[in-house]
Amino acid sequence: MKYLLGTLAVLVLAAAATGVVCYRLSCDPAVHNAAARGDAMAWLRADFHLDDRQFAEIKRLHDAYAPSCEEHCRLIQEATKAREALKAGDPAAAAAERKLQERRLVCENAIAAHVRQVAALMSPADGRRYLALVLPKIADFDHRVAPDLHLNHPH
Amino acid sequence: MILRDFAAPGVLSPAMPMNNSPDSLAESLRSWRVTPPADPGFRHRVWQRIGRQARASWPAYLRAHPAAWSLAAVVALSAAASTGTALARARTQADREAMVVTYLVVLDPRVQSLLKP
Repeated sequence: MKYLLGTLAVLVLAAAATGVVCYRLSCDPAVHNAAARGDAMAWLRADFHLDDRQFAEIKRLHDAYAPSCEEHCRLIQEATKAREALKAGDPAAAAAERKLQERRLVCENAIAAHVRQVAALMSPADGRRYLALVLPKIADFDHRVAPDLHLNHPH
Repeated sequence: MILRDFAAPGVLSPAMPMNNSPDSLAESLRSWRVTPPADPGFRHRVWQRIGRQARASWPAYLRAHPAAWSLAAVVALSAAASTGTALARARTQADREAMVVTYLVVLDPRVQSLLKP
């Protein structure tokens, strides 16, 4: 009986050690560290295996995109305020809503074009993975991203 | 003379008269029959000995149950390896999902329009 229990104990310990080793080997510490710091650019660099040149180019693209992002943001805020100023039954409310949706669509197209430029700077495999990760989130903004942001992600 | 050493039940008795001529030896050997009594406890005693040896030491215990413990080791280690790998992948995926949202907060004007006062 003591050998049975001893063998079981050794087996459990060996299994636990195997599990820990496999966990460590399969983890991506760079991605985890970036997530712990909330550093999106560090995550981009680690997860998509960017070298210094690619990373510098992508940073430059992001910086160049920032002013147009600000402008889109301002236009969407204006359209949102205009729509909210109107009452539900107001005939102009539908037009204001349409204008807001148009501005959001312009913005969505702009950001999609931007991330495609970013993906083009990555290796083909990483670029495809990046687009597969980012584009659905951009397209699903109304359904998924916005509620998360209201709760968890102060700018 | 040789047969004197086989004094056991069912074996030629040493008290039998012996003839030293080669012909009678050959005849004796031809007629020699060994009829050991059946031992009903033989199998049981063999297993008892095996059991005693298995209890004697840990390696002996393992050698007595090689198939069961090999199978248990393979199953336990495989399960542990796949669980560890799956947990790590799930964690990386969760980190990735969180970082995409953080990334898009910076990048997406629609998000910023919601967050800015």
